[in-house]
Amino acid sequence: MIQVEALTKLYGEFVAVNELGFEVKSGEVMALVGPNGAGKTTTLRCLSGIIPPTRGSIRICGHDLGQDPIAAKRELAFLSDEPRLFDYLTVEQHLAFVARIYQVKDYELVADQLLGELELAGKRNALPGELSRGMKQKLAIACGLLHAPRVIYFDEPLTGLDPMGIRRMKDSILKRARDGAAIIISSHLLHLVEEICSHILILKDGRKVAHGTLAEITQQFATQAGEMNLEEVFFRATSEAREGQQ
Amino acid sequence: MISALLYLQYHSIKNRTLMRIKRLKQPKYLVGGIVGGLYFYWCFFRAIFVTPRGGRSITLLASPSNAALYESIGALVLLTILLVAWIIPNSRAALTFTEAEVTFLFPAPISRRVLIHFKLVRSQTAILMTALLLTLVTGGLRSNAWIHAAGWWLFFSTLNLHLLGSSFARTKLMDRGITNWQRRLAILALVFLTAGVVIIWTRQSMPPFEPSQMQDFAAVRNYAQQVLTAGPVPYLLYPLRLVVRPYLASNAMAFLYALGPALLLLLLHYWWVVRSNVAFEEASVEASRKRAEKVAAVRAGNWRAAQKPPRRKRSPFKLRPVGPPAFALLWKNLISAGQAYSLRVWVSLIVFAVCISLGVGQAAGGSSAREVLGSIAAMLMAWSLLVGTQFLRQDFRQDLPLADILKTYPLRSWQLALGELLAPAAALAAIQWFLLVFVVGLFWQAASARLGWQSWLGMGFGAALIIPVLDLITLQIPNAAALLFPAWFQEAKSGGAGIEATGQRLIFMLGQMVVFVVALTPAAALFAGVFFLVKMLLGMATAIPLASIAAAIVLAVEAALGVMLLGWLFERYDVSAGTSG
Repeated sequence: MIQVEALTKLYGEFVAVNELGFEVKSGEVMALVGPNGAGKTTTLRCLSGIIPPTRGSIRICGHDLGQDPIAAKRELAFLSDEPRLFDYLTVEQHLAFVARIYQVKDYELVADQLLGELELAGKRNALPGELSRGMKQKLAIACGLLHAPRVIYFDEPLTGLDPMGIRRMKDSILKRARDGAAIIISSHLLHLVEEICSHILILKDGRKVAHGTLAEITQQFATQAGEMNLEEVFFRATSEAREGQQ
Repeated sequence: MISALLYLQYHSIKNRTLMRIKRLKQPKYLVGGIVGGLYFYWCFFRAIFVTPRGGRSITLLASPSNAALYESIGALVLLTILLVAWIIPNSRAALTFTEAEVTFLFPAPISRRVLIHFKLVRSQTAILMTALLLTLVTGGLRSNAWIHAAGWWLFFSTLNLHLLGSSFARTKLMDRGITNWQRRLAILALVFLTAGVVIIWTRQSMPPFEPSQMQDFAAVRNYAQQVLTAGPVPYLLYPLRLVVRPYLASNAMAFLYALGPALLLLLLHYWWVVRSNVAFEEASVEASRKRAEKVAAVRAGNWRAAQKPPRRKRSPFKLRPVGPPAFALLWKNLISAGQAYSLRVWVSLIVFAVCISLGVGQAAGGSSAREVLGSIAAMLMAWSLLVGTQFLRQDFRQDLPLADILKTYPLRSWQLALGELLAPAAALAAIQWFLLVFVVGLFWQAASARLGWQSWLGMGFGAALIIPVLDLITLQIPNAAALLFPAWFQEAKSGGAGIEATGQRLIFMLGQMVVFVVALTPAAALFAGVFFLVKMLLGMATAIPLASIAAAIVLAVEAALGVMLLGWLFERYDVSAGTSG
């Protein structure tokens, strides 16, 4: 579903992402983790067509994002950490707008279901300014999921959600994966990653330092001391990368 | 303790100034700084070095004969400001601090009085700058510049202290259970009572003022002078006149005479403010939060959010889920623009315009009222073509902060560009068609008599045809500028301070005019060619619409190319550049 080859993004001479390659199959949830400035957001922005990569190719459901961006973008949704909404459109108007953009014929049914699922049914006529941070996040999610994307990117999906919202979000992500979506989650919350992700990609200074299932990368960084959790793997992977560079 | 606050103030100003100087290394600030500097030199400083040739300074220097009149007028203006400050506000006193100042200073062991002093010291930066600017604007640099500068400083410092003191007094009244309306009624009663006394005195002591005298400026001036300088008014305005007097002093000696009472008044205000022990902290925290939200919104490019919260608006039409996606952007931006641009409203306005035009035409008979109204409508139309794009910004300029979201949409870049331009273009065209109906209707008789009604109707038709395409082109210019120079655009939009920001805005305006003229030239040339050719063959009535169609086609091609170019620019637009300095 998501195939990335030799993805490179340069800002002037600064290398934000360096020769990154990976694949996410249908039903897989891949975590994109790394320290601040590792290139996670740049990678997600390249993968969603917001910024063009300097080199490399990205294929979404078989469509090359560079060659056929319209077909590729129809299949994906990008949910940023900060809900990005139009101040002057109500909840209902947001959904009508997104439906026209993605040409979702019977969107009312899907919208009703999503609004109910995300506890927004009573806020149909509310403007974003009248919603709490968590509610705005839910509206952004509803807009992102309205066209039933087969590829979904989440950037820090739990930011601003209450405990109930967090549980619902985790369930929702896993449900989408079970339904066949390929999902990438960028997050600093390693316990979330351990809980819901099937695969992990650790980035450091734009480079891939580890990639595989949790078991695979744990094994890769295992020591004689015994079992390791993801936090220890993360620190070992990122510090080894630093030492390697030095 | 105050030394720490002075340290903060000193280093804040110093670092801000250094930052501004350092950023001149970037071409956009350097060029803006040069253009802004030239502008300021030309407008304000040139007079110092160049001897004026017969030009008159706009200095409000009072001659002895009219000094009392100017003094009273100044006092009246000050009185109006003070009355507004006492009547309108309804909230508790709040000193504006930044969020950082609230975080650091409010929990610190600093007394309320020291915080007030800090606020007063900080406000002096703005007061000094305002005094300098107003001295320059009122042309005071050549004669008695220091008197004007000091006069403005006294005026604004006293006003600042009074506003602060009145807000403290208001809070004290609220704490004692006196509501805002009780306070307002009491002040208004006092105002009406005083005005009544003045009116009674005027009626008893002065000859009545006839409405016919209104046309004679000298008569009005003399009458105002008598009212303001005789009877109870000079006494009622006396304290306020003391504040204004130093500015109006004609020489150094007069200034020194006026300075003493004005300084005494300033010190009394200072004593009043400093002695007020009013709890302003809670309201200040709230005010600083709102201020921080506005600043954050502007820095993020969300100028709209910084202005006022949007209201819920009805959809202009029902958006079906299937159809050209660009219409979704038109729909969205029309909602943003407001209900004023719904089809129903515009049809009603055009019908209204037709009725009014015909009605005025019948009623005015031989008078020139129709021509005057028609000329106003024509001028408004031309004005809206040139500057309408600055008022209707429901396009990329509004959506740039959400450019990353727009880029994820499965739309071709030209579709996005077209969709973004449609709403302001439609709104502008509707306004101009509305005005055009007025122009055609109001000049109908005169133009028909001169050109023939067919030719006049043809001109109206031609203008109606060209207007929307022209709007589409004019809208592309600021949109392209915003995409090409996003940092400049953000700077200009957020009303960035400094000479360089003024220069950037001037460059933008000039660039827009140049591109507009260049875009118009081919269409104007073709219009002229077709017009003269067809006029020779078929006559004027046919020539105008045909030439207009030809010009509209050229403009439409230009508009289409422009939309493609704008789409290409958006595709290349770096979302991270939008808010970068």
